Amino acid sequence: MSANFSVKVGRHNDFISPSQACVVSLNSLKKSSPQAFDDDGLVQIQSKKLLNPDFNQASALSKSDPVKVSLHDCLACSGCITSAETVLIEQQSTGEFLSQLDTGKKAVVVSLSPQSRASLAAYYGVTPLQAFKKFTGFMKSIGVRAVFDTSCSRDLSLIESCKEFVTRFRDNKNLPILASACPGWVCYAEKTHGADILPHISAVKSPQQAMGAIVKRYACSSLGLQPEDIYHVTVMPCYDKKLEASREDFVFSGEVNEETDGPQMTEVDCVLTTTEVLDLLATKSADFTALEEAPLDRLLANVDESEQLFGVQGGSGGYAECIFRYAASVLFGKEVTGPLKFKVLRNSDFQETSLEIGGKPVLQFACVYGFRNIQNLVRRIKSGKCEYHYVEIMACPSGCLNGGGQIKPRKGQSAKDLIQLIEVTYANDIEIRDPFSNKITQGLYDQWLGHPGSAKACEIMQTQYHSREKTVGSYISDW
Amino acid sequence: MSLRLVQELAGHDDRVWSVAWRPGGGPSVLASCSGDKTVRIWEHSPGASPSSATWVCKAVLDSAHTRTVRQCEWCPAGKLLATASFDSTLGMYEKIGTEISFIASFEGHENEVKSVAWNSSGSLLASCSRDKSVWIWEVLPGHEFECVSVLNGHSQDVKMVTWHPSRDILVSASYDNSIKVWAEDVDGDDWRCVQTLAAPGRGHTSTVWGISFNATGDRMVSCSDDLTLMVWDTSADCVSTSADGVAPWKHLTTISGYHDRTIFSVHWSRVNGLIASGAGDDCIRVFDELRDNVSTLPGEGLSYEMVLKQEKAHSTDVNCVRWHPKEPRLLASAGDDGVVKIWELVGGDLPLLSNESLPYDPRG
Ligand code: SF4
Ligand code: SF4
Repeated sequence: MSANFSVKVGRHNDFISPSQACVVSLNSLKKSSPQAFDDDGLVQIQSKKLLNPDFNQASALSKSDPVKVSLHDCLACSGCITSAETVLIEQQSTGEFLSQLDTGKKAVVVSLSPQSRASLAAYYGVTPLQAFKKFTGFMKSIGVRAVFDTSCSRDLSLIESCKEFVTRFRDNKNLPILASACPGWVCYAEKTHGADILPHISAVKSPQQAMGAIVKRYACSSLGLQPEDIYHVTVMPCYDKKLEASREDFVFSGEVNEETDGPQMTEVDCVLTTTEVLDLLATKSADFTALEEAPLDRLLANVDESEQLFGVQGGSGGYAECIFRYAASVLFGKEVTGPLKFKVLRNSDFQETSLEIGGKPVLQFACVYGFRNIQNLVRRIKSGKCEYHYVEIMACPSGCLNGGGQIKPRKGQSAKDLIQLIEVTYANDIEIRDPFSNKITQGLYDQWLGHPGSAKACEIMQTQYHSREKTVGSYISDW
Repeated sequence: MSLRLVQELAGHDDRVWSVAWRPGGGPSVLASCSGDKTVRIWEHSPGASPSSATWVCKAVLDSAHTRTVRQCEWCPAGKLLATASFDSTLGMYEKIGTEISFIASFEGHENEVKSVAWNSSGSLLASCSRDKSVWIWEVLPGHEFECVSVLNGHSQDVKMVTWHPSRDILVSASYDNSIKVWAEDVDGDDWRCVQTLAAPGRGHTSTVWGISFNATGDRMVSCSDDLTLMVWDTSADCVSTSADGVAPWKHLTTISGYHDRTIFSVHWSRVNGLIASGAGDDCIRVFDELRDNVSTLPGEGLSYEMVLKQEKAHSTDVNCVRWHPKEPRLLASAGDDGVVKIWELVGGDLPLLSNESLPYDPRG
C-alpha cells in the first residue's frame, strides 16, 4: 500500500507527491530571470554545489507574491503527475460548501459515494445503511435539499460501459479498453502517455460525472428546479475527483432563449472527500453516532422499499466483473454465474480472469490497481504485448476503498487492517444486483436517454481525453 | 601511501558523472557516463600488467539517452549494463562477446533518474529520481523489466541507491538529508522502508550524495554536503526492527574535519577495506580504520584516519571514485573536467579481505 500517484494529502507519505514546486508558479521565475533558461526552455543551473531547484524556486517564490494556480492550470499542466493538493483543497472546500448553504441562493444537492459511505461506516462502527441514513440526517439538518447515492449513477455508467465494450470488441478497435472511472489514472495517462494510451480509455463518464449529468440535466425537474439553481456536491474517496469535476469536458450549456446563449454549468460544483466530511461534522459539532437516521431520498439511490441497499460487487465499481458477464452473455452466449474467479498475478493488485471456449481464451479481463502495476500494464500495451480486452485500472493500491481522501487509520490501527475492515464493511448488507435490473436506471432510459447505447445516451454519458503537452517543469535540471 | 596516475582517459565532451568496473573475468573493463549523453567503454589491454597505461576506449554508447547519463552499472555477471539518465528513463545494454548493444529503455520516473543499482544476484534493479521516488524492477527473461515497487518516503530528490552486497536490502540517499533502508514485506507483496537514518537521531545535516557498503555488508559509509562521512554499523539482522524499537543500523562514527567542500562520492573497497572519497575540492582522499585502537566491544572507540590525500586529482569536482573489484591497488575516478582517471595505490600494507581478492592474473 505504499505507492500511488494520486494526489497527496498533508503529511501522509503514501502517495507520490506533486513536483517540488508548481511550474505555473515557476513561470513567474522565468519572467523575472530569463537568463536562468536556455533556448530550449530548459533551466540551466550552473553550480551543483549551491543549488537545487527546490532551493531556487523557494527563494524565487518567497520574493514574489504567492502565485494563484487554478484547477484548470493544473489539468492542462504536466508539471506534477496530477496536481498539488493545496490547489484542490482551496477551490472545492468545506468552506465553499457551507457558504453556498448560507447564501441559500441555490438548492444544495449532495451525492455520496458508496466508498465514502463504507469509510464512514467502518470509522464509526455502524452499517453502511446506518451511515447513509445518519449522513442524510446530518446533511438535511444543515440545509441540504437532497442526498443521493452514486451507486445508482454507477449502474448507468456500467450499462453504458457494457455497450461500449461490445461495440469496440466487435469492431476490434482500441483494445484493451481501459476503465475511465479513476481520474487519478486518467489524469496521469493524459499527462504522461498521450496518444499511445488515450484511445484505449473508455469514453464513458465516471459515476460521479454520470450523477452530475443526471442531477443537472434530468432530475432537477423532479425537484422542481432549474439546473442553474442547483449546487451539486459529491462526497468521494479521493482528491482526484475534485480535479475531475473541474474538467472543461463536464461543462454544458443550459437552455438557450432569445436573450442568452444559455448559462454554462458544471455537472458537479464541489467535491468533498470523506475526511472533509469529518471536518464538517466537527465544524457543526455533530456527533455522527448520535445523529438521527433520516429517511433516504430514493429518487437516485440504490435502496429498495424494504431499505435494502443494493449494487455491484467490487470496491472500485465492479467494472471488469460487470462487463465480463455482459460480454460473455451477449458475445458468446455464456451465462457466467456465481462469483468470478480472478487469478492473482504479481501481487494482489494485479488480477486477471478469462472466458475460455474450446480451450481458447476468448475474453481476457484484468484488474490493475496502483502505480507499480499500471506501469507494467502501460508498458505492455505500448509494446503491443497486452492480451487483455478490458482492464479495470485504479490508481490507488487496493482500489477506491483505499482512496487518499478516505478516513485515516485510528491510532494503533495499521493501514492494512483498516482497508480490510472497509472492504468487509463495504460488502456488508449490500445485495448484489445486476445494473440492468435497476428500476431507477430503467426509468432514466425510458424517460430520458432512450435505450442503453443510444445516441442520446452516448452524447450525455460519454466524454473525451486530451494529451497534455510537456511543460517546462518537467525539464528542470538539477544534480 | 599515495596515488600514482596510471592513465588519464579522455574522450567525453562534458563532465563525467560516474564510472563502473565490470565484474567477472577477462581484461578489466570500465564504463563511464557523462553529461555528453553517452557511455564510454574502456578496456585494459589483455595480458598487460594491471598498472600499465594500456587503456583504450572500445565503444561509445549513445543510443539510449537524450540527456545526461548520470550513472551506469554492470550486473553482477557483467553481461548487462544499466544506465540512469536525466531524460527520465533507464537504459539497458547487453555485452555479447566484444559487442555491446542497446536492448531496452524503460520509463516510469517522472523526471531525472539519478542512480541505478543491481542487487547481488542480478535479479532486481533499483532506480531513484528527482521525483523523490525509488523504484524496484525485476529482470525477467527476454529483456523484460517489470516494476515491482514504487517507494515513496523521501521528501526530496533521491541521489543514490545501492544494494547490500549479499542480501536484498536497498539503501537510498537523498537531498532530504536522510538515508533510507528498504526491504520486502514479510508477505512478499510489496517493499517498505524499514529504517530512516536521519535527524532527530544521528544523521547528516545536508544532502547525502553517496553511500557504499563494505565487503560483508555489516557496515556502510555515507558522504554528504555537510562535509562529513558517516559510518553505520549493523552487527545484527538488518531487516527486523526489534520490538523495543531499537534500530538495526547504528551510527558508528563520523569522519569529519578532512573535507571542506561537498563530498560527492564515497566507495568502500571490497578488496582492501579502504574508503575512498571524491569531493568538490578536486581531491581524492583515502581513509582506513585505525587498527591499533581496537577495543573489546565491537564498534566502540572505533575511528578512521585519512591515509592519503590526492590534491588536484581532477581539475574540478571529483564526481565519482570506485575501487577495482579485484585489483586491490586500482581506483578509478571521474570528474567535472570530463576525464576518467585510473590510479594505482602505491606504498603501504594492504589488508586483503577475501579470497576473491587474488591479484589479477593476466592469463586468466
Ligand atoms: S500540475 Fe502544474 S499547475 Fe498543477 S500544481 Fe502541479 S505544476 Fe502546478
Ligand atoms: S482509485 Fe479511486 S480513490 Fe483512488 S484515485 Fe482513483 S478514483 Fe480516486
